[in-house]
Amino acid sequence: MTAELVVLLVVVVTALAFDFTNGFHDTGNAMATSIATGALKPKVAVALSATLNLVGAFLSVEVAATVAKGVVDLDSTSGEELLIIVFAGLVGGILWNLATWLFGLPSSSSHALFGGLIGSALAAIGINGVVWDGVLGKVIIPALLAPVVAALVATVGTWAVHRLTHDIPEDHRTRGFRIGQVGTASLVSLAHGTNDAQKTMGVIFLALVAHGTITADAEMPFWVKLACAVAIALGTYLGGWRIIRTLGKGLVEISPPQGMAAESSSAAIILTSSHFGLPLSTTHVATGSILGTGLGTKSADVRWGVAGRMAVAWLITLPSAALVGAICWGIANLIGGLPGVLVVFAILCALALFMYLRSRKQPIDASNVTAEWEGGNKGTASGAHTVSTDPDARPAGSKGRL
Amino acid sequence: MNLLVHTLSSLWQVVLVGLIFGAGLPALFALGMRSLASGGTDENAGPTLIGKAGAIVCFAVVVIAIIAGILLLTADFLSSSFGINLF
Repeated sequence: MTAELVVLLVVVVTALAFDFTNGFHDTGNAMATSIATGALKPKVAVALSATLNLVGAFLSVEVAATVAKGVVDLDSTSGEELLIIVFAGLVGGILWNLATWLFGLPSSSSHALFGGLIGSALAAIGINGVVWDGVLGKVIIPALLAPVVAALVATVGTWAVHRLTHDIPEDHRTRGFRIGQVGTASLVSLAHGTNDAQKTMGVIFLALVAHGTITADAEMPFWVKLACAVAIALGTYLGGWRIIRTLGKGLVEISPPQGMAAESSSAAIILTSSHFGLPLSTTHVATGSILGTGLGTKSADVRWGVAGRMAVAWLITLPSAALVGAICWGIANLIGGLPGVLVVFAILCALALFMYLRSRKQPIDASNVTAEWEGGNKGTASGAHTVSTDPDARPAGSKGRL
Repeated sequence: MNLLVHTLSSLWQVVLVGLIFGAGLPALFALGMRSLASGGTDENAGPTLIGKAGAIVCFAVVVIAIIAGILLLTADFLSSSFGINLF
């Protein structure tokens, strides 16, 4: 086995690992509301979402050997040099995804990947390795607009739904909206599989081209599709419970009508925005929608402290992942060749293990994901919107989650 | 400047379509539920015939919109795998 082949294998495994983190990081975007309102049991919800992500991944068609096209410009590199840039970027993305997951913050996986790649490209190629117009137009502006647009749509939807159904019997209302909610959440899951698995397929395809296994105009190998689909589905099934909890319980208390309005808003925007040339991140849209249902409900409190933490996480996602990506490239480059790649890979494994062990200290899983949200505004805000002050109601492991 | 114009022109379309589908469909769904519940305030009385018909129409539109959404998602797949061009 040659050194080049080992590097390629490490890159492919890392790309699949990123795909996996992408899956569990984003389960909440589709399923948090359905789990929070009890429309679906937690395990059923993640199983449904995983299945739809699997199907969605096979539906995606990505033929071009591009990764983060229009954001980074890797054309000036090739071969192992290119492989190492992509590898360092992936490591940056994974580490940032794991860190935000540990804190239960729904940040964008695309931003983490873009950030990692921008960092490694900057370190390796310099200022010309990044398409700055693309960063502004495809990453920063959409990130600022997505939550506002989604919140607006969800606010209007929630208001209309409440207005139309306030006087019908509660049990009818709950049952009906739970069904509607599951339908729209499923659509979001399918869209996620189609969009996000494709990104990893593109990365692996690029790596294969860089290694010379296939040519740039080849068909996407079936095993790449299969591996990416399975990785994202497994990640989704694992369920990022910490993030689901923040989205479903932390931001606002969600009722079935609100849940349906939120998911409809998410589904409509995610499905149509790229057709109008303004691709909005699933995570930002889903979070904005959930926030919007809180704004559209008279009695509901939005926990602005939680929202503020999310906003901070979004702002620092790109630079943080970029920094990690750049450092990883630096380490790999300093040691050089296969040993460099293996050292960075070992660092990735060690940090991932550390964060996993750290998460076990306050485990959040299917059993306590919908437990009462306690405190809520630790840290960033005044604590004016706290609910559930009963200390006995605190579930095991919910303290210090955020 | 170009970016700003492009973004603004995309933005109002996204907002408009988002409001029509993202807010309109749950509202229609809610209308269907209201229609179904009309006359059903008494414990044993079922929905009226008109109420039922109205509800079916509302739910049908919602279901059609969801199917259209799925087709929109799979449009690229269908056209590249089977040569079916929907949109």
